[in-house]
Amino acid sequence: MSEIYEKLSTAILEGDADKTPKLVNRGLKQGLTPKEVLDNGLIVGMDEVGVRFKRGDMFVPEVLMSADAMAAGMLILRPLLVESGAELLGKIVMGTVKGDLHDIGKNLVSMMCEGAGFEIVNLGFNVEPDVFINAIKEHQPAIVGMSAMLTTTMRAMGHTIKAIEEAGLRDTVKVFVGGAPVDKEFADTIGADGYGSNAPGGAELAKQLVGAA
Amino acid sequence: MRGNYTVNSGVRFRMLTDDQLQELYDGVLHVLEYTGLEVHHEESLEILKKAGAWVDGNRVRIPSYLVRKSLELAPRSFTVFSRDGNPENNIHIGPGRAHFGPGPTCPNFIDVETMDRRPYIKSDVPNVAKVVDALPNVDFCESLGTVNDVHHDLGALYEFAGMFPNTSKPIVAWSYDKYDSAGIHEIAVAEAGGQKAFERRPNYIHYCEPLSPLVSTGEALDKLIFAAKHRIPLIFTPCPIAGGTAPVTAAGIIIQGAAESWMGLTIAQALQPGLPFIMGGVFSVMDMSSMILSYGAPELSLMMAGLTELAHFAGLPLWQTGGCTDSKTFDEQAIIEGSLSVYFSALTGGDLTHDVGYTESAMTGSVFQLTAMDEAIGYARRITRGIEVNEDTMAVDVINNVGPNGHYLREEHTRRHYKTEFWYPNICDRRNYEEWEEEGKKTMKDRTYARVQDILATHKPSPIKPETEKVIDKVLSEAEERVKNS
Repeated sequence: MSEIYEKLSTAILEGDADKTPKLVNRGLKQGLTPKEVLDNGLIVGMDEVGVRFKRGDMFVPEVLMSADAMAAGMLILRPLLVESGAELLGKIVMGTVKGDLHDIGKNLVSMMCEGAGFEIVNLGFNVEPDVFINAIKEHQPAIVGMSAMLTTTMRAMGHTIKAIEEAGLRDTVKVFVGGAPVDKEFADTIGADGYGSNAPGGAELAKQLVGAA
Repeated sequence: MRGNYTVNSGVRFRMLTDDQLQELYDGVLHVLEYTGLEVHHEESLEILKKAGAWVDGNRVRIPSYLVRKSLELAPRSFTVFSRDGNPENNIHIGPGRAHFGPGPTCPNFIDVETMDRRPYIKSDVPNVAKVVDALPNVDFCESLGTVNDVHHDLGALYEFAGMFPNTSKPIVAWSYDKYDSAGIHEIAVAEAGGQKAFERRPNYIHYCEPLSPLVSTGEALDKLIFAAKHRIPLIFTPCPIAGGTAPVTAAGIIIQGAAESWMGLTIAQALQPGLPFIMGGVFSVMDMSSMILSYGAPELSLMMAGLTELAHFAGLPLWQTGGCTDSKTFDEQAIIEGSLSVYFSALTGGDLTHDVGYTESAMTGSVFQLTAMDEAIGYARRITRGIEVNEDTMAVDVINNVGPNGHYLREEHTRRHYKTEFWYPNICDRRNYEEWEEEGKKTMKDRTYARVQDILATHKPSPIKPETEKVIDKVLSEAEERVKNS
């Protein structure tokens, strides 16, 4: 039993997106519950990835491979977890705010959050406040993530938060923000719940916001 | 791949033209042939006379054919080996290879715990050697100080005895006299497995210094002859001071200093043809207000660059200088002066750059300066490694695959190259403000201090053979016996 857990966490640590789904299936076949596979295998591997990244022993390209492997495993586990009524980390609605065409940083955070076990609704870039509001209504996410790359567009994050407030939805979600010109102080000023300075930090923050870290 | 395709993959520095170097070279030959040097050493005078030099009392003039012959005999490329056979710690001297290490004989030391300045003592030696052994960009070892708390004739011997077990990187050993040299050699030979084995794989370099202007002292030549007879790779390094003990101009000091060094070369090659010989040394200015020999002056880097080019023109490796400062403490001046001279040395490809870790114009050695400079050397080495251009590195296909508004973080190409294509700092901080704040807003000084403490607490150098330990004890007790009444 512990052998399959160890193999799973190693596959995550090594960023092996081919092996991980196979090992997930093998674990399920051996009679483990989806929750056991997730908690004792995949999450253990991903936690170690976080530790090594912080220590400087792993770098972003490797962390992304691990996140990919995690996502490949979750593809199998998620429907089963939903079916069994297990508590999931929830959804994150992600978007780069209005006027800003930068897509990549936000996608990296999305991948990392997916690797951490969240489900991602990616709204793309140049996202109008209304589109965020409709997505909240439709998907009922736990978290809304916003990104801006430019000092000229970062204020749109504040406008979007205001619009969410005016739609009466602010209390239903946590909001976290990021992007090159953004810092903690700015995030506080516009009334965000959190600020992530890089992709792995963003995933860590998302977990904290839903009380899972 | 293609015929006549020119590759320039590293950053190169070339200051003087061949015409200018020929003029400097001829100037050195002229000084040796017409002015000559004083040689205060009977055996050397005999050797020189026999080789064809013109000896008149203590004044020796060397005809240019003899100097050229001596230059011809000395190798441009050779290897100095790690004492434990670890190939990573071997030093391959040859064109385009710059190596770095500390210097010797500072009277004072920055205490590794308190960071206060105090006299250099015996227990500092193993600490310096351990730090040298651990730092990835430091290639050879010197002690950064003169041991003050042993008999005043035995400082050099205690230094070598303290360094040798604590680093397997080659040591550059200085000594007071031939007795020191013999003791040092006995230790190194014991580890190598005998004199013959040592000659095949020499595991240290012998360092001696003539006097400027134009004097070869008895002690320096005693040591030179000892090294030549035992085929120990030899550094003969003058320390002329522009405006004081040498001409004020860069071209003038280069000519005089080279003549001083090539006097040693001529004796060494007459005695031991083909002996690896490294010309020196420390060329800088006398500051005309403080009268110090400046270790942080831009002229030091400039003169050393000119001297490096002359050495390479003549077919010799050079004992370069860099990573040193006139600053009294670990501050901005120390880092500016040290880093710029390190970078300049790397650009010249000067073969062995020493005095990394000198502060206070060579009055005080500092492993903190050395450790910070290790970072600067890594930085400089990444730049001099240059840009590789080939089908794989041009990544045209990768660019096509990723396309507009994609990203490269997931590409196999990125994963294959990011660890070698990028240099990663050890003590320079690149984190964001919040992370930096969270860890206590540590400065470069704090991080350098922490790195030194970490090395001293955790680094384990490879051990020497048990029989060598016994030889060290024997050499030290014999030396104590020899000097006990002096």
